[in-house]
Amino acid sequence: MKKILGIGGLLVFVCVLTGVLNPDFVSVYNLQNTLRWTSLFGVISVGVAFVIITGGIDLSIGSVVGLVGSLLAWLLTQKGWSAPAAVAMVLLVSLGIGVLHGLLITKLRLQPFVVTLCGLLLYRGAARYITDDQSLGFGTAYEGLRRLAIGKIPIPGLAADSFALPVPFLILMVIAVIAAVFLNRTIYGRYLLALGRNETAARYSGIHTDRVKIIAYVICSVSAGVGGVLFALDVNSIQPSGLGEFYELYAIAAAVLGGCSLRGGEGTITGVIIGAAVLRVLYNAINILRIPTHLEFAIIGAVILAGVITDELVKRYAVKRRAVRQLAAEQAHKASVPS
Amino acid sequence: MVDASAAPLLEVRQLSKRFPGVLALRSVSLRVLPGEVLAVIGENGAGKSTLMKILAGVQKPDTGEVLLDGRPVEINSVREAIGLGIVLIHQELNLSDNLDIGANIFLGREPRRCGLIDKQRIFRESQPLLARIGLEQSPRTLVNQLAIGQQQMVEIAKALSSQARVLIMDEPTSSLSQHEAEQLFRVVHQLRSNGVSIVYISHRLGEVRELADRVVVLRDGENAGELAREEICHDQMVKLMVGRDVSQFYQHQLHAPGPLALEVRGVRTLAHARHSIDLQVHAGEIVGLAGLVGAGRTELLRAIFGVDPMLGGEIRVAGQSVRVSHPRDAIQAGIGLVPEDRKEQGLVLEMAVRENLSLPSLRRDQTRGFLNREREADITRQMIGDLRIKTPGPEQIVQFLSGGNQQKVVLGKWLAMNPKVLLLDEPTRGIDVGAKREIYRLMEELADKGVAVLFVSSEMEEILGMSDRALVMHEGRITGELQREELSEEAVMNLATGGGRNPAGVSQ
Amino acid sequence: MNNQYRSLLCVLSLSLALAGCGKPGEPAGASTSKPSGATEGGTSKPKLAYVTNGIDPFWNTASAGVRAAAKEFDAECEVLMPAKGIVDQNRMIETLLARGVDGIAISPIDAANQVGVINEAAARTRIITQDSDAPDSKRLCFVGMNNYSAGRAAGKLVKEALPNGGKVMIFVGRLEQLNAQQRRQGVIDELMDRAAQSLETIQYDPPGRVIEGARFVVLDTRTDNFDYARAKANAEDAITAHPDLACMIGLFAYNAPMCKEAVKEAGKLKSIQIVSFDEQDSTLQGIIDGDVYGTVSQQPYMYGYHSVRILAALKRGDESVLPPNGFYEVAIQEVRKANVQEFWTELKKLQKGEE
Repeated sequence: MKKILGIGGLLVFVCVLTGVLNPDFVSVYNLQNTLRWTSLFGVISVGVAFVIITGGIDLSIGSVVGLVGSLLAWLLTQKGWSAPAAVAMVLLVSLGIGVLHGLLITKLRLQPFVVTLCGLLLYRGAARYITDDQSLGFGTAYEGLRRLAIGKIPIPGLAADSFALPVPFLILMVIAVIAAVFLNRTIYGRYLLALGRNETAARYSGIHTDRVKIIAYVICSVSAGVGGVLFALDVNSIQPSGLGEFYELYAIAAAVLGGCSLRGGEGTITGVIIGAAVLRVLYNAINILRIPTHLEFAIIGAVILAGVITDELVKRYAVKRRAVRQLAAEQAHKASVPS
Repeated sequence: MVDASAAPLLEVRQLSKRFPGVLALRSVSLRVLPGEVLAVIGENGAGKSTLMKILAGVQKPDTGEVLLDGRPVEINSVREAIGLGIVLIHQELNLSDNLDIGANIFLGREPRRCGLIDKQRIFRESQPLLARIGLEQSPRTLVNQLAIGQQQMVEIAKALSSQARVLIMDEPTSSLSQHEAEQLFRVVHQLRSNGVSIVYISHRLGEVRELADRVVVLRDGENAGELAREEICHDQMVKLMVGRDVSQFYQHQLHAPGPLALEVRGVRTLAHARHSIDLQVHAGEIVGLAGLVGAGRTELLRAIFGVDPMLGGEIRVAGQSVRVSHPRDAIQAGIGLVPEDRKEQGLVLEMAVRENLSLPSLRRDQTRGFLNREREADITRQMIGDLRIKTPGPEQIVQFLSGGNQQKVVLGKWLAMNPKVLLLDEPTRGIDVGAKREIYRLMEELADKGVAVLFVSSEMEEILGMSDRALVMHEGRITGELQREELSEEAVMNLATGGGRNPAGVSQ
Repeated sequence: MNNQYRSLLCVLSLSLALAGCGKPGEPAGASTSKPSGATEGGTSKPKLAYVTNGIDPFWNTASAGVRAAAKEFDAECEVLMPAKGIVDQNRMIETLLARGVDGIAISPIDAANQVGVINEAAARTRIITQDSDAPDSKRLCFVGMNNYSAGRAAGKLVKEALPNGGKVMIFVGRLEQLNAQQRRQGVIDELMDRAAQSLETIQYDPPGRVIEGARFVVLDTRTDNFDYARAKANAEDAITAHPDLACMIGLFAYNAPMCKEAVKEAGKLKSIQIVSFDEQDSTLQGIIDGDVYGTVSQQPYMYGYHSVRILAALKRGDESVLPPNGFYEVAIQEVRKANVQEFWTELKKLQKGEE
């Protein structure tokens, strides 16, 4: 909870600062854009959070985004599949990738880093091979499907041309609610948190840790798949060699910024989404505050680092205070019980 | 044997140390005579570790002084302490197990020739040291190929190689088998006769009685008392440690065994695949599983519980055959396991008391995959109450509980499942005297309620004090069964060492 | 112990000997092959390689030209597209040299820092640059357009689209590339009504600074590292940051299509003009629909065609194909609404006819 307040504070700070420096930041158009990008990156960040909670990592997200996006465009434009069939197919592919990762990591005991690093190379290559490395575009034929990524839902009661919710934001909200309920209200979510902190103890408590881990990898890859569909529809022009490149790093950064520990066992969905929002707002701020484009990475890296350092310091302070409080309580207890 | 009036080799005067929020040591004094074994005992948190860390240069005192040979000395670092001849051997061994014995003994002060490590000299100089402590190993043997007890010997050799005059041993037997411990005792005796002073920290009062020339008791960071050789006895030590009279430590009553609860038939474990094991535990019975470390007791419990695969054999719970290939199968059959390593296997340390207590029962209490939070709260409340877990609340992170209360949480996990059979592996390891008593009381209560209790212990007193019946294992086999009236240290040791006629106990 | 050292020594000396043999051998081989190729004429097909700077439809059109010329001049030419930037490209060159080729045409990703690589290649085989030049290297010639003039041509399109001037913004994948820098400077100089600069001595305006002229203001140049999503987000943020933005100029083929998406979704097609480089379908469609004002096509087909033509002739000993100043300039073509249909039909024919 405290963690969410911290990262939320950072988000508010960056927003207020940007808004003051350039009031256009809060223009309807810009808010919609930022919300849309936050949603797209939020979807893949929520997915990777599950894997990070198990203490694992998924480096293949960007390549899954690329493969799914390329496959979708290829199936639609080259193979003439119907939109629902193509979307179902690509999501199925991402599900299969998740199952594959999970099985390799749990049954063969391969390291997640290695498995997903190979995935990163493999799926990128597959995307380029299947599409002959050609850029693919949806042109203007799929405006209906593209509404998933660029459509907006007007808010009842507001004027037609004022703020409307981007469809990806609704998709993110649905995914986030499901994810949060899964993590906090189901026994599997609890299992996930427990095994992320101590897999052995979880197993000794009768939890099928392998199954739970596989579920986490499936959630991650399917989220990347959903993200891939949305990214592809959004940019409308897909370069198999480039779509989604490095997005795993953005997703991991958002998750870590949002309070996930790479050691596992820690993380909240709200935090991760706020983390993704911070990253997007930073990009947006750099652009609209006319900060030179080559400073972009430096600024984002510095902000993430500052966030993580602050978090660590706050955590240490909390541990110390807890210890002091407890000792005080124990001494009071001892004093009250005459020996 | 030691002249009590002799000038002390090492003396501590009025030492105090404050940590944020707590006074760890309150003007503690201590004298170590030349060539004596001084036992320092006390409950967890009594200040033993802090005192020893100060002597070994790990921490610095706030006030007070340390005198060596009657002269005040200031010890600023571990290196300085070693220079003065004071060496601390930690409870967790500090060896690089990827290096060989010689390299470990000379770690950090390797003799060199032409800038390169002079391995020949290391091996030459290691050999007499190893001979002195009776470790029959080449200095070239890798440490990871040694048993824990042998590794400890390497630590001692390392200390001797730096001309230690005072050797501080922190819980040296906590992970040793009886046999290894005896080996250690022999070395301790020998070092003493060579004029080395030994400060011996231990929970195990039996071995303190065995070894110590003098006992200093700490309680709540203060001197609680001192016992001369002839005053050392179990009850006296406990009394000083807990500050009250404890005459009835084990309140054991023989239980009338009920119907057969756990039956193990022809089970083979990975560690001892050659031997098959049969055993039976009845409802309401407490059966102790004795033996040396490495006898295969832990492996047997792990196989029954489905942690390790079973190489054949059958397990029956209340007459029903159960296929166990994962702990979940065992749990569903009504078996619980309080594992050997509480922190690694028993608990998710960073999670709350509530989350730990409910972990095994979440599945049973689920409603279509969702957590049943009321049920979870009920279980938590009930277990904290029943087991008298001392915690500020159900949301306390388990890490911050004392060892004894952590162990109660582990017990609570299984009690919430209403098990038919409860397996306990070293249930009182590393917890203090007060908590031990409570664990024993809980075991008794469980048996009274008809739970079949099978516990592994390396502490002879525990086996003798708690078992209705004891099974003794040696090298993967059950070598014998002792009824309550047959139980004695000699009988257990005899079976545990493979049935030789000479009791290996060191009792006089 | 001793045995180990000895065998190690053996291996070392062996590899040294091999390296020693290889080094002097290869340039000698390369130089003697020239006359032999000339005398034997077409008995052996020249083996050539065409290395792009990345993956893009632009290069597919160039590949069509490569194939056409290979057929016409009886050569074999493989097209290599580095996916991972400069490291990948350098590795490709090394592989080609190791394998042995008669000629390489390359579009260097970072010319200034690839002089060494290109010179090494020049020592072992024939290398020419295409699309983007490395003027300080020992390449035999450069086939391409004058990127600076192309930039100025794009600037002229902007002036046509906005006769009264306005605020413009430039979008590009990377600014490290010489062609990107030259195009950008051409656009800026044209909009600022400055005199034409000579290619060798171009003075560059630093990026990240607003450049104001009489009619036009160049607000900024944003880069996206070839990430399409970021290219689009950059365009969107530009719309936010500059409500009075009048024109977007995309220096790389995909930039204008991404700008088009952003402008369309913002509902600003009426107020923001787009000027493009190259000829992606989306760009050409945009010109037809009136969403994109025009584009500067550099005729990539001709890059491929002339690169292969020159290398094949060189392999056969004909040095007359080398242009006197080392620059074979491929004419650019401006595409507007008036000629877009004709251009597109021709383009499709070129791409298809050579499949």
